[in-house]
Amino acid sequence: MAGPADYQRKMTPSKPSPARWPAAVAILMLLVACCGGLLFVNTLAENVSGRRVTDVLAADLPGDAFVPRTLPHWHCCATTPMRFRTTLDAQTANARDPAVLIVSAHDNARLFVDGALVAGEGPSTGDPTNWSRRPRLLHIPTPLARAGALIEIEVQRGVGFGHLRPIYFGEYDRLYPSYVALHFLRADLQVANGIIGAFVAAFCFAAASLLGVRGLMYSLGGLAASWSLQVLGLAPSEPPWSGVVANGIYFAGYLGTNVFLIWFFVEWTSVFADKPSQRPGRFDLLLAPWPRQLRRRLAMGSVAVLALGVAAIAFNLQRDAAIGSQDVDRVLGWLGLVSISFCLVRVVAYYRRSGFRDLFEASAFLFVLIAAIADIVMVRFFFIYGVSLGAAVMFFPLALLLSLAARARGVFEAATATADKLNLLVAAREREIVDAMEELRRNERAAMLLEERARIMRDMHDGIGGQLLGLLLQARSQKLSETALVNGLEQSLDDLRMVVDSLEQGEGSLTGALGAFRSRIEPRCEAAGVELAWQIEDVGDTPNIGPDKTLQIYRVLLEACTNALQHGAPRRIGVSLQRDAAGGGVEIALTDDGAGFDPNASLSGRGLANMRTRANRIGAVLHLTSDANGTRVALSLGA
Amino acid sequence: MSQASPRARVAIVEDDAILREDLARIVTQAEELEVAGMAESLAAGRDLLAANPDVLLIDLALPDGNGVELIGEARAQHSGIKIIVVSIFGDAHSVVRAIEAGADGYLLKGADPVEAASAIRVVLQGGAPISPAVASHILMRMRNRRGAAREEPSTPLTEKEIAVLTDLAKGFRYKEVARLHAISPHTVADHVKSIYRKLAVNSRSEAVFEAVQAGLIRFKE
Repeated sequence: MAGPADYQRKMTPSKPSPARWPAAVAILMLLVACCGGLLFVNTLAENVSGRRVTDVLAADLPGDAFVPRTLPHWHCCATTPMRFRTTLDAQTANARDPAVLIVSAHDNARLFVDGALVAGEGPSTGDPTNWSRRPRLLHIPTPLARAGALIEIEVQRGVGFGHLRPIYFGEYDRLYPSYVALHFLRADLQVANGIIGAFVAAFCFAAASLLGVRGLMYSLGGLAASWSLQVLGLAPSEPPWSGVVANGIYFAGYLGTNVFLIWFFVEWTSVFADKPSQRPGRFDLLLAPWPRQLRRRLAMGSVAVLALGVAAIAFNLQRDAAIGSQDVDRVLGWLGLVSISFCLVRVVAYYRRSGFRDLFEASAFLFVLIAAIADIVMVRFFFIYGVSLGAAVMFFPLALLLSLAARARGVFEAATATADKLNLLVAAREREIVDAMEELRRNERAAMLLEERARIMRDMHDGIGGQLLGLLLQARSQKLSETALVNGLEQSLDDLRMVVDSLEQGEGSLTGALGAFRSRIEPRCEAAGVELAWQIEDVGDTPNIGPDKTLQIYRVLLEACTNALQHGAPRRIGVSLQRDAAGGGVEIALTDDGAGFDPNASLSGRGLANMRTRANRIGAVLHLTSDANGTRVALSLGA
Repeated sequence: MSQASPRARVAIVEDDAILREDLARIVTQAEELEVAGMAESLAAGRDLLAANPDVLLIDLALPDGNGVELIGEARAQHSGIKIIVVSIFGDAHSVVRAIEAGADGYLLKGADPVEAASAIRVVLQGGAPISPAVASHILMRMRNRRGAAREEPSTPLTEKEIAVLTDLAKGFRYKEVARLHAISPHTVADHVKSIYRKLAVNSRSEAVFEAVQAGLIRFKE
């Protein structure tokens, strides 16, 4: 199991990219630009140029009495419509195009002037079809706009906070920018984030196995997908499914975000950690990197929690959509706080441990965490919309993917470096092997030379040495005629030439070796008036017949020839060479048509024993046949 | 006849005095030959070439170098000169090297005077003596070169030449080879001369090839 861990450790870039500071500046500029834009939009949304109405009469419908209320109004947890009543002021009534801006309506909003429905949409009873907190900007018809006119706004209440913000009266055109800003913040931005989330999710799931950090990619993909799910649950004003289902989708996404958030942060702060802790300490689950096994369990646990949570949400919503939603929302809110705190602590511990090596990564985390905290604080305690998370969520996947790309680059560089190192190593080993082979060959060669020298010494002893010594001794005792001396010397030289021939031809083919041998016996035959029939076939390469064997073959043939010339008185001597029937060996034969002899009787006298010894020495079989028609001496041996 | 055509002038380069004298005697005894000069070293042999001899009898193992050097020079200076290597063993390796340098034939030291004179005569008349050992050696080298998948020589032997060479390597004489192939002995000789020429040409191009290879190897180191 060391392999994957090693690999993951190598995912940490070996050295920081030289572009990291410019990249960090670019990221910072991007963040500032995003936040600046969102703050500007938020300013537009908050600074509405119109008359702010906070004190109204409100009545739960149907049939409830109107009582004074101050907006924002927190009473909720019912799906019945609620009606707010106020009167139109003179300034608005005199405007060219009077309008009312409902900052946040959880659901349907309808406008009544003096009891008549003049604008808005949606049913007044039944399940709400939309849970989003979108703004409404409704025209007050000019003929009906008069100072003191009774304005009633009916909304279908939903869940959550601030389902009806202050109402603004004013000129339609002047209210419009704020309306657009509010719409952008609460609807358009969410849709954009949802699309980015879906893209990131798809990328992560597709690339999960590519980067070798599957857990990390799956958790990030899950995080992005659940974010998109939240948006999907909130966004459509007329979803093809019921409002309860939309609510369920939103809650499932919310739960998924929390679950995947924990998983993802555990993965991120563990996968790239330098040393997975060996002995778990007290707070290690919170602070230290998790080992592989544990992270796998976390992944399975996350999926289980998600499944159970979705079942619980479904159960609650089915029982009572409004009350259930409220409960679920509360639980999820707390869960979100806990998971974000957990992640924050882990990230701080992670950076304390390993330092800010990766600027992309660090900026993404810190920004998202700070943005999330800022948004929660703003929403929970100041009742205004948080904008930071919107910017952070757009930026987060971008930064993370950049970070992963940088790490992947590190991995590829490491792999290339490793490959180069391996190549060098292989080359070095190859050289070593070649050197060793060379050494071996030298040694073999030396041994061969030694053996060859010993053999040549033996041959010299056998042949020319003995002959020369014989001549010398005879000459000394003056028993040697001049002819005998010349003959003896010629014979010695002949023998020497035979040795040279065997050395020269022995490595190639026996065909050439026998060809060279012809000059050794032809003069003798000519001198004796005997015809030499030369019947050499080309037997091709004979790699197994070296100089030693060649010389022994020469000597056997020479002996046989001498015997034939001395004892048989032949007219014709034939020398033949051919492959045997099987093709694996060769047969060399010397035949004569002289008087034969009994091979068994006269074995010793004719040097036949000598021939047999030579044949045995080279692993050849000597066939000897002789009768009145002649003699045949044949050598068979493997070639 | 012998009066009509001037005697062929033979230069002898041999370091062993006895063998040198033996060669001189053989040349002197032959009617149509005369000694142009004798030398016992490479340097002295070089001077002999200035006399523009018809035949050069040369030993390979000379005290101041290898006779092959002088063969190359003689061939370069006098294209018509007949060069005969004298060798104790007629061992194929040195004979083939001499042929590659431009020699026309070889002569065994200590050969019978009549035989030796006739061998010189054969070369003078454009013949090309070849021993089975030399033929076999040439064939073997050809085979090895093919086996090693090296570059084909610039002038490869023809099929007929190879067939002739193969039979010569088996030990068959010119006459026997001629009979086997149904050609005249002269044609056999022509083939052998052609083979010698090609050997010389190929050896030159091969030398260049080998030099380049050696250069490359050094360059790599």
